[in-house]
This record gives sequence, structure tokens and C-alpha cells, in this order.
Amino acid sequence: MTMVANHPDIVGRYDIEGRTDFYLVKRTELDRSAFALARIIERFGIAAGRYILTVALSQEIVQFAPFEEACTMLGFIGTNADASPMDAGRVESICRQFDAAAVCGVDAAVLQGLDEAGHALGPIFAGRIIWARPDAYHRLAALEGATVLRCAKIGPALALECLEKGGLHLDGREWALSAPERTIRMTSRMARIHPLDDVDTGVAGTVDHSACACGSRDPRVILRD
Amino acid sequence: MRMVVSTAVEGRTAYPDYLDPVEGLSRDDLNRLQEAGVMAMCHRAYRRAPLIRQVWQDAGLVPSDVRSMADFVAKAPFITKDSMREFRDRHNDPAGGMGHFGPGEILSIGTTSGTTGDPTPIPSGSRASTEDTFTRDLWHHGLRPGDYHTALAFTFRGGFRRRMVQELNIAEIIVSMAPGEIPFLCEASKRFRPTTMASVSNPLLLALEQYFERTGEDPVEVFKSYKAAIFGGEPLSVRLGALAKSWGLDLYENTGVGDVSSAAECKARAGMHAYEDVTYLECIDPDGADPVPDGGLGELVVTSLSENYLPIVRYRTGDLVSMDRSQCACGRNHVRFKVLGRTSDQIIVEGRTILPRELMMLIEQHSETRAGLFQIIRTAREMDALKLRVGYDAGRLSDGQDRLGQRLRDDLTAAIGVRVEIELVLDQELLKLGPPHKIPRVTKA
Repeated sequence: MTMVANHPDIVGRYDIEGRTDFYLVKRTELDRSAFALARIIERFGIAAGRYILTVALSQEIVQFAPFEEACTMLGFIGTNADASPMDAGRVESICRQFDAAAVCGVDAAVLQGLDEAGHALGPIFAGRIIWARPDAYHRLAALEGATVLRCAKIGPALALECLEKGGLHLDGREWALSAPERTIRMTSRMARIHPLDDVDTGVAGTVDHSACACGSRDPRVILRD
Repeated sequence: MRMVVSTAVEGRTAYPDYLDPVEGLSRDDLNRLQEAGVMAMCHRAYRRAPLIRQVWQDAGLVPSDVRSMADFVAKAPFITKDSMREFRDRHNDPAGGMGHFGPGEILSIGTTSGTTGDPTPIPSGSRASTEDTFTRDLWHHGLRPGDYHTALAFTFRGGFRRRMVQELNIAEIIVSMAPGEIPFLCEASKRFRPTTMASVSNPLLLALEQYFERTGEDPVEVFKSYKAAIFGGEPLSVRLGALAKSWGLDLYENTGVGDVSSAAECKARAGMHAYEDVTYLECIDPDGADPVPDGGLGELVVTSLSENYLPIVRYRTGDLVSMDRSQCACGRNHVRFKVLGRTSDQIIVEGRTILPRELMMLIEQHSETRAGLFQIIRTAREMDALKLRVGYDAGRLSDGQDRLGQRLRDDLTAAIGVRVEIELVLDQELLKLGPPHKIPRVTKA
């Protein structure tokens, strides 16, 4: 039998130093991230009991499981679809069936799948809060009637934009960020089973450490388009 | 029941054989547990699920009319996926009449694959029954605290809320079921040396075969730590099962049980065990309501005993099964069944019943069609010819497309004894019809 004291709960993936590698976490680390995300999401005033759709890939568990957990903490009902063209029909079906209040993680692959299936984007996303990934943001931002914000994976974390649109918030207690050159570097501040020390996330952008108008003191990542 | 407890032996922990002691119950104990569970679920479902209440009222029944298992089998009405969809559409109820829940009661809504229509919602609380039964199966196959388990997800439609395996101090390596994920699956297998893997599918095995052929990597070295791999989605291809065996990968078949539980083969491989503390299973005449005795072919009917958020009562699954309630060689008494097809997949050609399962082995024996990708084109339940759309790999054509079609027609006609019409398409065209772990085996056009 193996000693389990320092055993991870989950092996996910992250992009680091120009490659994709495995990232090990404990559930308690994801729970900490969930609290940080809940602080951002609760400012949107979504009523408890509404449905929130998370669009991701299974291997993105380290980044997106905290978002799901944050939604649970806030009393929302979570539902999911794959971030792939093949599963885009599920995004349409869930938005229609459950009147999702928000959709997080929409990417270009989903938009491609919706296009291929002949779905117009407006009827699917209008009236909802959409956190779009960088490769889908500009197309969705052009839609009328949807509140379109950015989300992005920064190493093993998920960064979300608030309604102020002043950059993507990342938990400042958990991560120290810097951008000495073109890309964001991150260091873990708390005890983690897989600590990071000034690693390059490959995400092009800058970091704003000033207080956000939404009231958050977390650092914000300004993505370079 | 065997007494199995955790004991310290020379500094190592010997864990119990069964994750849950209920796995070791005798047949008599299971019967008593089930009767109590069914009675309780009738009341709960009637109270919570509008669809159940409606069909019971239509039948002039209330839960107190059901006082025994005999009453239940004689009186309780059936529901189907179609009745849930009709209820959903008629009442604008995304839960399909399975319950109205306030904030905090359910945490999430999962959805089925949607192979046969709009995905069906599956409400879920903090722990689903499927999570419980699935973990029991992994434990049976040797997964223990301190181990790694490779969790292959068909798609992300279930979310990340399941944590029962992790709570046992087992690390889950999360991998998507996609060709691009194969290098990560192999790398994770070598780096973390997992004990179990679930769920493997025919398309995944095909992608692995192509990967190993292309890279020259040794599959035996990659998979040498695995004690078992759970296979699901559709029937296991005979050829791919043998191929996986040659890699050192022991595959055990698994299936869903009415979306409220799961069933998997144990090491005895004598059918898939369904846990009878979680569901009550019946096998009935697909064209009526008469019970089919053990060993006969009938439709699987499921009543949930523990899933509060999907309180199905006598749900006709459409799965054609044969059941066995005798004690298994593994020591457990929980019912086993084999899935032979779907009622909706069944076609009759020249008076002969044909199911997709029996065609796969005949198709995959040709090099060009080794992927076993095909669809039955079913324009009516009874047809005068078996019409098939078969996928092929153009790179493996040896004597042209026409000759391949002729060889397939000859083999199938000789084996099945009916007229066969074949339309050949590229493998990729059929794989696009996903979800990735299976393709629709029967289509109308």
C-alpha cells in the first residue's frame, strides 16, 4: 500500500513553459479557488436556482472544477457541455431547455460546431452572461443582447472578467503574477501539492495590481489580443 | 456473508474485499431489502415526480395500493424515455416530470448522450447512485487508496462534481476520449502507473491501435500497471477485445442501468452485476408486460431504490437483456445481466431477427473494415433486405471498393442467410456521427 498523505486527488493539465503538462491538485486547493471565483460571480446578481452552463474539456478540470463549485456555493444549478464542435448541439439544447443564466468557457470550437449545425448565435446566447475564451470573444462580443465577458486559463487557474471589464481577475491570495516581458508568469503563494515558482504561462498580457471598480483587490490580467 | 475488515499486516493495510458490505448480502437479505426499497420509492416518487403521479393516477392507483412486491409487479404502470420527453414538452419541464426541486436540493443537471434525440436531463444531488456503484466496481477490480485511476470521459457533459473516488484517497487522472488525447493517456500511464482505467470504448481502442502502429511505442509497457479497464458505450468488438488483451489490458464491460445506476462485469465475466440495493430490475416481454424468466431475452425495466433526484419507477429502458440471479463465482448475489441490443435496434429481415451486435464480428474481420463501423438502415421493423452503411479505411483497400463490397455481401449473406445491401463510406464519415464513444448503430436513412 502506498502512503497517501501527499497523494493528489486529481491529475489535470496546464500549459506551462511552452508545453502542456500534467498538473496535480488536492480537492481542498480547488475549493480555495472556488471561493475566490464565487466572490466574482456573486456580484452579477444571478438568482439562486438558475442554471449555469460550463463549457470545457474534461482535462481542464483543474481550471473549471472551481467554477462549478463556486456556482454550487451560490445556489445555482450547474450543467455542462464539451468544448468541442461535436458537442455544440448540447450547448444549444441546454440554453434552450434550461434558460441558462450564464455560460462559461465558450470557445471557437463550439462556435464552429454551432455554425456547422446551422444554429444562429443570437437566439442561443441573447439575454445571458457569457464568459468567452479568447478565441471566441470578439465574435460573441458583437452579438446584441448578450453580456459577453472574457475568461481564460492562466496556468492551472481560471481567470474571469467582472462587469467592469477591466481585466480578468485571478485569486491574489493563491497566486503572485508578473509580466516582466510579453507573457504572464505565476508563482504559488499557498501550500500546494504541486507548487509553481515563477513559471511562464505563455499567456500574452500584462498585470494590473490596482483595485478594480468592482471592489476587488485581486490582480487582473489584461490579455494582449 | 464473508466478514472482511481493514487490518494492519506488517505495516500495510489490508482493505476489505467489498467497498460496501451490502455487496455481500445473501439472496434472501437482498429480496427483503428490495421489497422495503420498492415500497418506499413508490411513496417518494408519487410525492416528488409529477410524471409518476400522473401515470399512477391514470391507472387509478395510489402508493398505499402497493403492499407487496407481487402488488407492485401486478399493478405499477410503466414509464419510458418517450413518456419523459412528452411530459417535458407538454409541461415545459426540463426535468421530464421527474421532480421539481428548489435551490439547494439538486446541485446539477447532467444530460444523456443525446444519441436518439434531445439530451435527457439527469438531476443530481451531492452524490449520484451511479458514482457509488461505479466506485464499487473499481474497488472490486483492485483500486485502493494511494493508487491512481485513469478517468476517461466520453465528454464533459457530467461535469467535475463527482469526488467519491478522490475521497478514498485515490487520484483520478482526467483524460478526454479523443484521438488527440492518446499521447497524454500513454504518458500518464507510464508516469503515474495507474491501477484501473474507465471507460474505454471501441473508437478509443481504434485510435490506440493507430497510435501504436504509427509511433512504434510498446503498448505492453504503456499498460503494464493496469489491473483492469472498464469498457462501455456499446458492445465490445471481438477483434478489439483480443487486441487489448494482447496489450495486457483486461477489459470488463459496463453499462448504464436506466441512468440511475451502473453495472459492470466482475472478474468472473459472467454478465454485468447490477447492485440490487440501488435498483430493482425486471426482465419483461418487450411487446407486453409479462415477466421473462432468468435466461430468457426480455426488456430491462428499472426501478430506482436510492436515487432521490431521478425517482424512476418501472422505467422501460429499451435494452434487450438476459438476466441471471444465481450466485456468481465472485461470491456476490447481486443480479447479473447481458445486454444483447436495443428494442429499437431490432429488425426482422425475411423473418429473421437481426441485432447490430451479431454483425460487428463479421464486418471487422476484413482489413479495410476492421474498425467495425457500420449502421443498419432501418426503414421499417420488418424489411426484405438487410441494408447496411459500412465504414472503410481507404488506405487499407486491397482490391478496390467494389470487391470489398462484394466480399462483405458474400460473408454476411452466408452467415446470416438474408439478402444484404451495402453502402460503403469512409470511416471518418461515420465517426463524425459520435458522441465519441459510440455511433448510432441504427438509422432511418
